[in-house]
Amino acid sequence: MHVLTDYLRSNVTPGEAGDLLWATIYVLLVVAALSVAVMLMTWLERKILAHIQIRYGPMRVGPHGLLQPIADSLKLLLKEDIIPAGADKLVFWLAPVAVVMTAFTTFLVVPFGRTHAVTDINIGILFMLGISSLSVLSIIMGGWASNSHYPLMGALRSSAQMVSYEVPMAMAIVSAILMTSLKTGTGTLSMIRIVESQAVQGRWFIFSFFPLGFLAFVIFGIAMIAETNRAPFDLPEAESELVAGFHTEYSGFRWSLFFLAEYAGMLAVSSIAVTLWLGGWLRPFSNALAGKTWDLAFSLLPALTVFALAGICFLGAVRMPKHPSFKIQTVGLAVFGLFLGAVGLVLLAPQVRERVQDMYWFSVKVAFFMYLYIWYRGTFPRYRFDQLMKIGWKVLLPLSLAVLILTALVGIRQELATVLMGVLR
Amino acid sequence: MSLAPLLRKIFLVDLLKGLKVTLKYQGPKEIVTEQYPLERPAIAERFRGQPRMNVNPETGEPLCIACGLCALACPEKLITVGSERNPETKKKELTAFSYDISRCMFCGLCEEACPSDALELSQDYEMATYSRDELLLNREKLEKGPEPTVYER
Amino acid sequence: MSESKFYENTEWQETGKTFLDSNELILNMGPQHPSTHGVLRVILKLDGEKVLGTDCVIGYLHRGVEKIAENRTYVQFNPYVDRMDYVAAVSNGLGYCEAVEKLLGVEAPERARYIRVILTELNRLASHQVWLGTHALDIGALTPLFYCFRDREEILKIFEKYCGARLTTHAFRIGGCQYEIYEGFQKEVLDYCDFVLPKIDEYEELLTTNRIWVERTKGVGVLSGAECIELGATGPVLRGSGVKWDLRKAQPYAAYSKFEFDIPIGKNGDTYDRYLVRIEEMRQSVRILRQAASSIPEGPITAKVPKVLRPPAGEIYHSIEAPKGELGYFIVSDGSTQPYRVRVRPPSFVNLQALDKMVRGWLVADVVAVIGTLDIVLGEVDR
Repeated sequence: MHVLTDYLRSNVTPGEAGDLLWATIYVLLVVAALSVAVMLMTWLERKILAHIQIRYGPMRVGPHGLLQPIADSLKLLLKEDIIPAGADKLVFWLAPVAVVMTAFTTFLVVPFGRTHAVTDINIGILFMLGISSLSVLSIIMGGWASNSHYPLMGALRSSAQMVSYEVPMAMAIVSAILMTSLKTGTGTLSMIRIVESQAVQGRWFIFSFFPLGFLAFVIFGIAMIAETNRAPFDLPEAESELVAGFHTEYSGFRWSLFFLAEYAGMLAVSSIAVTLWLGGWLRPFSNALAGKTWDLAFSLLPALTVFALAGICFLGAVRMPKHPSFKIQTVGLAVFGLFLGAVGLVLLAPQVRERVQDMYWFSVKVAFFMYLYIWYRGTFPRYRFDQLMKIGWKVLLPLSLAVLILTALVGIRQELATVLMGVLR
Repeated sequence: MSLAPLLRKIFLVDLLKGLKVTLKYQGPKEIVTEQYPLERPAIAERFRGQPRMNVNPETGEPLCIACGLCALACPEKLITVGSERNPETKKKELTAFSYDISRCMFCGLCEEACPSDALELSQDYEMATYSRDELLLNREKLEKGPEPTVYER
Repeated sequence: MSESKFYENTEWQETGKTFLDSNELILNMGPQHPSTHGVLRVILKLDGEKVLGTDCVIGYLHRGVEKIAENRTYVQFNPYVDRMDYVAAVSNGLGYCEAVEKLLGVEAPERARYIRVILTELNRLASHQVWLGTHALDIGALTPLFYCFRDREEILKIFEKYCGARLTTHAFRIGGCQYEIYEGFQKEVLDYCDFVLPKIDEYEELLTTNRIWVERTKGVGVLSGAECIELGATGPVLRGSGVKWDLRKAQPYAAYSKFEFDIPIGKNGDTYDRYLVRIEEMRQSVRILRQAASSIPEGPITAKVPKVLRPPAGEIYHSIEAPKGELGYFIVSDGSTQPYRVRVRPPSFVNLQALDKMVRGWLVADVVAVIGTLDIVLGEVDR
C-alpha cells in the first residue's frame, strides 16, 4: 500500500522515479485515454462537420448520437475479415499492428503535466519524430500487402507526402528548440524541460521573437496537417478521387486500427505543437494575471467546464421531442448530465484541483487543435498531389529554413547582449 | 504583384474568409433538417401524389361516370375501366377500375382528363407496400386511400 | 496515336516491349464512382499520373426515350421529356412544347410566355446550384453542396406549389401553361430573388478567391473558342471560352426579348472561367426573374389547341438555351397523332465529346474536375 501511495506525493514522472508499477499504470491509462479520446473524436468530427454543413449528424443511436462511436466499433469488430487473394498474409496482418504500435509509442513522452507523463526521456522530441517516421513504413507495408494497384498507388502517394512534410516540420521544431536555451543557458530536447523553460522565460514560445515564433508555429501547423493526411492535403485517401487510399482492402477490425492510428497521430502532432509553442500544461496569462486569487480562479475552471457540459446535457434533455419513443434517450441524457455534475463536484475539492489543472489545460489546447482539423476539413477543397508536393518543398521548406536561421541569429544577438550586459555590470 | 494582393496572399486572407463563412453556419439555429417521422413536410395543394377516387360527400355515390377518358390519356396505359350500361337509366356504370401504381409516373394527365373530378392525385406520398401485387390498386383501395403502417420504435 | 483504336496501338504493341516494361496503364473509372454525375464509364490511358487518352463509354442510362416518342401522342410524350435532364426538368418541357407549337403554327399567349420564362429561370438557378455543389464536392470542398441544396429547396417548393411536383415537373402544356399561377406566386419569386443573392455571394466567398480552388481550376481543361465551335460545345462551356453566343439573345424565344440581361463571357476557357460564367449567369437569372415576376401581363394562359393534336406533315428543329447548353428538338410529323421521329440534341452529350481534348496531358485528379465543369447529366447523355 505504501508503495502505491508513496508515489502520489512525488514530483517526477514514474519513469524518472524508476517506479515500474506506476509506470505500467500510467501506460495503461494513456492507452485507455487515447482510445476514449479517439472515440470521442469520431463523434465530434461527425457532429461538427454536420453542423458546418447545416445538418444534424448522428441523432438516433443515443441522445444526439452520443452512443454512435460504440455502435461503430461494435460493427467493425463483428465484420467479416476479408483478406484479398494473393495478399502477403504476414505483411497484411502486420501493417495495421505496426501503425498502431508506432502511433501509441509516441505517447510515452507526451507530458500532460509535470508528473503526468509515462516518462521523460532527455531526447523526447527526437524520439517522437523518429517513431512517427516509422509509421510511414507501415503505410507502405499496408499498401503493398493488399495486392491491388489502387492501394499501392495510394500508399506511395501517402508516404511521399508524409516524408516530404517531415522536413519543414523538423525545421520548425528545431527553431522552437533553439529558444529553450535562452535564459537557462542550456537547450534541451526533453518535452518536460521544454515546457519548464517556457515557464522560466515567462513566455510561450509562440510569442518569442515575434513574429518568428508565430511563423514557426504556422509552418508546423500546416505541415502537421499534411503529415496526418487530412484535408486539405487528403488526396491519398479522398473518396472522389480514383484511388481510395492504402486502407482500401482492409475491413473490419484491421481498418479500425488504421483509423485509430490516424487519429492518434493527429493527437500526437497536436501534442507536439502544444508542448513546443503553446506552453504545454501551463495556464494562460501566468505573468499578467498572477497572484493567489487569480490562481484560485483559474483552478476552478476545470470544474466549471464540466458543470457547463452537464448543463448542456440537461438542456438537451429538456429539449428532446416529447414523443414516447424518446423517453429512454431523455432519461439517459439526464443521467449522463448528473454524472458529469458529480465529476464536476469532485473536481472542486482542493487536492484534486491542484493535480488536475495541468492536465486540463493541456487537453483544452489539444482539443482546440482537433477542432481546427475538423474545421479545415469542412471548409477547404483539396490540393492536387503535385501542388501538394510543390507547397511542401518549394514554399514550406525555404520558409522554415529562413525562420530557423533568423531565430538563430536573433537568439545569438540576444545572448550576446545579455553577456555583454553582465560583463559591463 | 502589387502590395495589397501580395499581403492578402501572405496572410492567407482568402482561406480565413472561407473559415469565417463555415464558422457562421455552425450555430444550431442554422440547421434546416426535418426529422422525418416526427416532423412532416408541408405539402402543396397541387401535389401529384397518391391517386384517389372521389365519392360524392353527401350521397356516397361514386362520381366516376365510366367515360374511360383517363385510360385514353394515360401515357403508360395503366388504367383499365370496366363499365356496363344500366338498362334503366341508359347510363354507363362503373364495374371495375384498376390503376397500376408500379408504372405510374404521376404526370397528372389522367387527373386533367377526368371531366367529373372523380380521379384526383391527392397529397399522400407514403405509398410503400410489401409486394408488387399490392401496387395494383382497385376501386376500394383508391377510394380509401393509402393506409401506411405507423411504426412505434 | 490513332484515336479510333483505343486499346490497340499502345506503346507496348508498337515498340514490341512487353506490358510490364511499358509505362502505360489502362485504368477504368467505372460506372460506379463516388463523383456523382451518373453512370459514366471513362477508360483512362495513363502514364503514371499523366493522362494520355480517354475513352468514354455511355449508355448505362439509356431508356429509349426517342423510341417511346414514336408510340405516344404529342400530349402523352410531354411527361417523358422531363426525365432526360432530370436536374433541370422545366427547360426540357419548354423546348418540347415550343417545338410542337411551332409545328402546329400556334403561339402561346403573352401571360403563358412570362410564366414560362419565370419557371425556366428558376430552373436555371436550381441546375447551376446542383452543378456548383457537385463540382465543389469532387474537388474536395464538402460544404458548398449542402448550402446549394438548401437554397435549391426553396425553388423546389415553388415548383411544387405551382405544378405539383418538385423534380419531374411537367409544368407546361402544348399551347401554353396548364396551371394558373397560385396566390402569392409573384411575391414568393421576388422574395426568393432577395434571399438567393447574398447566398451566391457566400458561395463566392467560400470558393472564388480561395487559393486552393484557384490552383485546382485555373488553367485546367482549357478549350479554345475555335475548338468549342468545332466540337459543337454550347452553353457555359462555349461562353467560358470567349464566344458570345446565347440562344436567349441570338434566337429569342418565349418572351426573353422583353427583358434586359447580360451574357457573361470568360477569357481563357479554363475551368475557373466556366465557374465564374455560371456564377454570373445565376446573378443574371435573378435579374430576369425580378423583371419578369413584377410584370406578368393579364390574359389567357393557353392558346386554342384542338383536343386531338394532329400536326401537318413536316419537320421542325427548335432549340433553347438550357442551363447546360443548347437543347434541341427535331420533330418529324407524318400527319398522325403520334410523331414519326423525335430526336433530342442533348447539350451534355455534345459537350462530353470535349472531354478527351481537355484532359490530355493533365493528371488523373483533373479528370474529375473536368467532368464536373462540363456539367453533364447522364440522363441527357444516354436518354
